[in-house]
Amino acid sequence: MDSFFNQYGFLIVSMTFSALLALSLYLPLMAGQLSLASPAFYAIGGYIAAVLSTQIFPVESGAPFPLERLLLEMLIAAAVSGVLALLVGLPALRLRGVYLALATIALVEIVRVLSLNLEITGKAIGIFGIPQPFATKLDYLWISGVLLLVSAFFVYRLEHSRMGRAFAALREDELAAGAMGINPTTTKLLAFVLGAMLAGVVGAVSAHFLNTWNARQGTFDASILILAYVIIGGSRTFLGPIAGGLLLTALPEVLRALAGVPGLPPLAVSFLQDGRLIIYGVLIVLSTLFFPQGLITPALLRRWNRKGRA
Amino acid sequence: MNLALFFQQVVNGLAIGSVYAIFALGYTLIFSILGIINFAHSAIFTLGAYFTYALMGARFGFNGLLAQTALPFGLPFPLAVLGGGLLAGGMGVLVERAAFRPLRNRGADPLLMLVSSLGVAVALVNIIQYLVGAEAYSYPNALAGLPPSINLGVGGVPLIMRTVLVVIFIISMLILFALMRLMNHTKAGKALQAVAEDPVTASLLGINTDRLILLTFFISGFLGGIAGTLVGLSVTITGPYFGITFGLRGLAVLVLGGLGSIPGAVVGGLAIGIVEALVPPDLSGYKDAVAFAILLIVLFFRPQGLLGRTFIQKV
Repeated sequence: MDSFFNQYGFLIVSMTFSALLALSLYLPLMAGQLSLASPAFYAIGGYIAAVLSTQIFPVESGAPFPLERLLLEMLIAAAVSGVLALLVGLPALRLRGVYLALATIALVEIVRVLSLNLEITGKAIGIFGIPQPFATKLDYLWISGVLLLVSAFFVYRLEHSRMGRAFAALREDELAAGAMGINPTTTKLLAFVLGAMLAGVVGAVSAHFLNTWNARQGTFDASILILAYVIIGGSRTFLGPIAGGLLLTALPEVLRALAGVPGLPPLAVSFLQDGRLIIYGVLIVLSTLFFPQGLITPALLRRWNRKGRA
Repeated sequence: MNLALFFQQVVNGLAIGSVYAIFALGYTLIFSILGIINFAHSAIFTLGAYFTYALMGARFGFNGLLAQTALPFGLPFPLAVLGGGLLAGGMGVLVERAAFRPLRNRGADPLLMLVSSLGVAVALVNIIQYLVGAEAYSYPNALAGLPPSINLGVGGVPLIMRTVLVVIFIISMLILFALMRLMNHTKAGKALQAVAEDPVTASLLGINTDRLILLTFFISGFLGGIAGTLVGLSVTITGPYFGITFGLRGLAVLVLGGLGSIPGAVVGGLAIGIVEALVPPDLSGYKDAVAFAILLIVLFFRPQGLLGRTFIQKV
């Protein structure tokens, strides 16, 4: 068992990061807002952690990076992401429909181009040698796993709070929700800012985890990938994005294992190894057609609950 | 920047801008009819470029399933462009049948259609990579027989243009002209405008909405495929992902012109082409961000775009 965890430590922690990023996209989606901005805030959070830990408070090489500083970086990343989301979201969220998606795509691309060109982000090369608070990759689970549990509990409670119900009302019918006394702009803004803060925090941890940070961390591709976690996993309950993030991040490993099954024709082997993204794309299309609410739906959860009690 | 150089850059920008225009028109046509953005458009742009490459009888590289293969025949470049556009139009129709029609018939949330078109884009781009690898391709001897540059200057003032850009500009203008004729002087074009105005009334008047939507996707795919070929001609096809950044910048054109506005897409395309061309060389790293900065500014201050209409939400 130990060797399993050591071999797959990197994968397991990556899976929790994906689940967290999926939650960050799910938060605005709860209020009916498609935001593709998570990679932008993820990238910004990562750069904050990378710059702070390598330039502002460096440790002598070899010494572990103090955990409380990592927590401080996470807080700063959350604050900066939140403020930036407020600035971008306020004008974009007054508009309805596809405008937020477009504005967030623009944000992701602008952040990418800036980090490719600015001195402080290390231009195209990025930032190297980000210090490690832990001895092994698996130990990052102490941060990412706890963060996932806390965020999951938070979103679960949110879904059953007054604010969460306001999100759901907006998602169903913005006009009717407005007539019921919900302020659409502030409510949507809150959902967007919460998602951005979560993505920023994940970026800060991820920068340490990956040891290096560059402009390839936050791209439009990542936006689509995170969207796939939510759409395939389920976009109507907080368990959907978590399941989607965990499972789809493990999928390449599963496919690689499948490709190793003896007796497969060579074409199938090469497809299982290199066709991962084709499979993602087709899965996205199929789930919008056949599982418009994703694999894990509220109805499914109710059925499980009933079975559990019987 | 002296005046001659300024004019040269403006003319270069017009050439690239005209490609932006026909590309963004592909988004615009679908948006004006269905009210959604077809994110698969950038993948069709890429496909069009590869179709043209294959139709010229050129050989694929060393990676992918189709490594080292080529068609047994080769078309001259002008025919290959047309063929590439037609095949891309066919792909547009396939995308409509596979990803949009089933959702439309169910009356699904427009958000789902957007997501589904993103899924199609991811699948198509990676199928290209799977089939022909990630290397860059350029059209062999596409403009053989033409000089590399042409002097368009008048009097004693030289205005040197790369021939490629002149060719691109001429092709784009021809296509724009044909599209305007189609929209304003044919029955199908009038019907498209009617469906864009009000699909229910249009179908009550005996217009077959489903068939017109297919036609729209075909034209949109054709425009995207030609645009892909033209960009491939000017810089090379840089790989399966080469449509993504261009496609995203096309969204900025769409917003600048006004969502769903056909003249808006043309004006927006030319404007963004010129602004990008005027970015000074020492800031060229930021050139890719210009279109997105414009997108954000327009969204914040004039969300209906330059020529778009504002809609009043009715209950």
